[in-house]
Amino acid sequence: MAYVATRGGERAIEQAERLFRAEMGRIEKARVAELRAALPYLIDRVMGEASLYDEDLAALALAQTGGELSEAVLLLRAWRTTQPRLATAEVIEQDGLFTHRRISAAFKDIPGGQILGPTLDYSHRVLATEVLQGDAFTPDPVTPAQAPAPAHQPSVSTWQAENELVDLPEPDPAKGGDIPDLTREPLLFPSRRAHTLQSLARAETGGVLALGYAAMRGYGQAHPTVNELRLAEAEIVVTHPDGRRFSAGRVKVSEAEVVDKKGEKLSLGFAATFGWNEIKCIAAATLDLNSPGAEKGAPTEEEFFLYHTEGVESSGFCIHFKLPHYVTFQSSLDAMRDAKAKRAAKSGEPAQ
Amino acid sequence: MSLSDLAKPWAAMSYGFLDASAKRELRRKMVKAVAVPGCQMPYASREVPMARGWGTGGLQVSLTLINPKSVVKVIDQGADDSVNAASIRRFLARVSGAMTTTDTLTASLIQSRHRIPEEKLSDNQVLVLQVPNPEPLRPVQPNMSIARQMHADADYSRMWLQLYEQIVCSGRVMQGASYPSLVNGRHVMTPSPIPRWDVPKLHMAEHLTILSAGREKRLFAVPPFTRVEPLVFDDVPFQVEDHADLSCYRSGARGFFMNEIPQDDGTSQYELSDSEYGVKTIRDREGDPVRFGETWYKNGKFS
Amino acid sequence: MIAAIPAFTEDEAQANAAFEALLWALSRPGQIRTLPAPGESGLIAALIDRECKVFCADPLLMPAVLRTGAEIAEADRADHLFLGEMRDLSVLDQLRLGSDLYPDEGATVIARARLGEGQALRLKGPGIDGSMSLRVSGLPDGLWHKRADLIRYPMGFELILLDGDRLAALPRSTLVEVL
Repeated sequence: MAYVATRGGERAIEQAERLFRAEMGRIEKARVAELRAALPYLIDRVMGEASLYDEDLAALALAQTGGELSEAVLLLRAWRTTQPRLATAEVIEQDGLFTHRRISAAFKDIPGGQILGPTLDYSHRVLATEVLQGDAFTPDPVTPAQAPAPAHQPSVSTWQAENELVDLPEPDPAKGGDIPDLTREPLLFPSRRAHTLQSLARAETGGVLALGYAAMRGYGQAHPTVNELRLAEAEIVVTHPDGRRFSAGRVKVSEAEVVDKKGEKLSLGFAATFGWNEIKCIAAATLDLNSPGAEKGAPTEEEFFLYHTEGVESSGFCIHFKLPHYVTFQSSLDAMRDAKAKRAAKSGEPAQ
Repeated sequence: MSLSDLAKPWAAMSYGFLDASAKRELRRKMVKAVAVPGCQMPYASREVPMARGWGTGGLQVSLTLINPKSVVKVIDQGADDSVNAASIRRFLARVSGAMTTTDTLTASLIQSRHRIPEEKLSDNQVLVLQVPNPEPLRPVQPNMSIARQMHADADYSRMWLQLYEQIVCSGRVMQGASYPSLVNGRHVMTPSPIPRWDVPKLHMAEHLTILSAGREKRLFAVPPFTRVEPLVFDDVPFQVEDHADLSCYRSGARGFFMNEIPQDDGTSQYELSDSEYGVKTIRDREGDPVRFGETWYKNGKFS
Repeated sequence: MIAAIPAFTEDEAQANAAFEALLWALSRPGQIRTLPAPGESGLIAALIDRECKVFCADPLLMPAVLRTGAEIAEADRADHLFLGEMRDLSVLDQLRLGSDLYPDEGATVIARARLGEGQALRLKGPGIDGSMSLRVSGLPDGLWHKRADLIRYPMGFELILLDGDRLAALPRSTLVEVL
């Protein structure tokens, strides 16, 4: 009887998966390539949350999951976690970034200039419905500037530090394998700086935004001014076992510095992530800015926001409530009925 | 030396999915968990090809322990045929080549969510329990750092107060599953959301139990012959679910933990929660040769 | 999507079997278990990698430890200590014992001894049904008193004793009485 049931269960889950995959149909290389080309910002978001920089794998994960983002990120994380560590890249400084976009809200102009770069910030958000009528949407060509903006700029906080407006954090001397690695060590509190930044870097964008927004609306102690927001490419420099340094390629990164006045100086919040994801970086940097001295249990307290913005964990736990819980439920029912019977016995009424 | 010397030969997947370094970390933590029974040991907790909250902690422990000679049983709510149990069992088998079984007696490794089988486990078996929330103090202290300090101080006063309040308000302790228990006289532990019925099965048992929470990144253990004492007051004894007198409508078995099945007429029927024990009972009734193990409960009484 | 069962390599097999023996022995203090091969190699394969800090008193073991990529550390920083034949107790004073907050930071000590002969010990605690007796020799005098002095449960250290391919383990939770 139950032998059949066992096979039945297995057959059911197999068919359920087939049903899901049937909608996406056959996945070929061309689809992955198309996704990669068509959805760079989604690819970026997924790579950031997966903490795995590979546009093809990210596109494949999206193809395989039909764009179910939590599933795509989990797929990449589960692949990533089994990969060997071959080398640790050299530290990347802000002024070494090949910068596409860098803006500051703190000053009208900044050393190196305000560089708008690619953005939809000032676009009119109008759907190009003509595409559905058969008329292609052809973006106007970019007119190159007469003098290109410099590719490398210092951070705004460097200028502020020179002017004694902000105290920059002490550089962490850890190198190579000594750099704490969140994916190989548990997150414990108070969190190590590296773990905090790594955790924010791979946090779920929506989760970071929700808590960051709470802080911005007044559930935090600090009000952010965007000191600088930067979209860039970072050179990944590693050392070959024979001692030669070489570039393993460039990865897209985004970073945000936000500041708030704290006495006579500015306090600084920072976040960076793989890929170009401005909302996540501003929100994450805002949480970072707010976390010193935050009360236990406040949304701006480190333990609170790091735990609750971990997308693979939060989404997994959320969907786990779909699993049967009838044993625990039965156990609770038993306690409730017994309590009711005891109460009835006490008051002399018949128990139900 | 070249870069390829540093890399392992390419393989689509490591044995048991987890790479060697992940397994070593889990082993190191299991050593400490066994050495300090009931104390939550933090671990990195790698992502596995299953959603967090779906047994990834138990899975990581099983994947570390498993070898081609293992015989694996996986249950969810007591049932081998539950869809998630089937999924985990299939995954364990396909990444390890281990045999699978539904028979509690022949399994060397049992991964379970929310139940301990009714047949006694022996010293050559390891029970791996999936844990959603490893922190028994969470209801009184959601902050993990403060809760950790309370464990360090063996400060369980708030826990006791909560139990006391329940007795005052409801005449009994209202905790259903996950009944907090004192391990080796030192650490209060959640036994995972097993029913109270199963908690005595951890006390002075012959088998090793490892409890692992993947999402929360904590694992802990109850070695054999270790005291596991539910938190109770002297004058309000620990009470398991009132299932001793219920009979399974499918198998006729009596005196075990049951699932309640609501009926159209407003009544309930009951079936054995330990599905394989139910199967054995039915097969035995039909005259098949069946080997029953000794059960923890006899005639509905723990012995 | 997984085509074939991944290979159970020689390394995997050794580490898996050694850990199975260790976990069994640690869960049942004083009961002797057999390792897949004599000596420390199985335990090194099972436990040690570049995330560990290892104190190694036995020069013959050093190459095997170095190959794991572990950091070689002084005893007071080490999470694993391979003592080989234990000559005196001094190293124990430097052991990391963890804290009440993080008992897992207590060290794991692996030493050689002769199991089943010599000093009789009575063991009690988790993993032991009542009490258990174990005979051990080849360890420095006063070890058991020193161990009792150091352990402030849940702070403490784990002691793993190797005799060829035989292994016994004494977690910090075990009370040792010298008979």
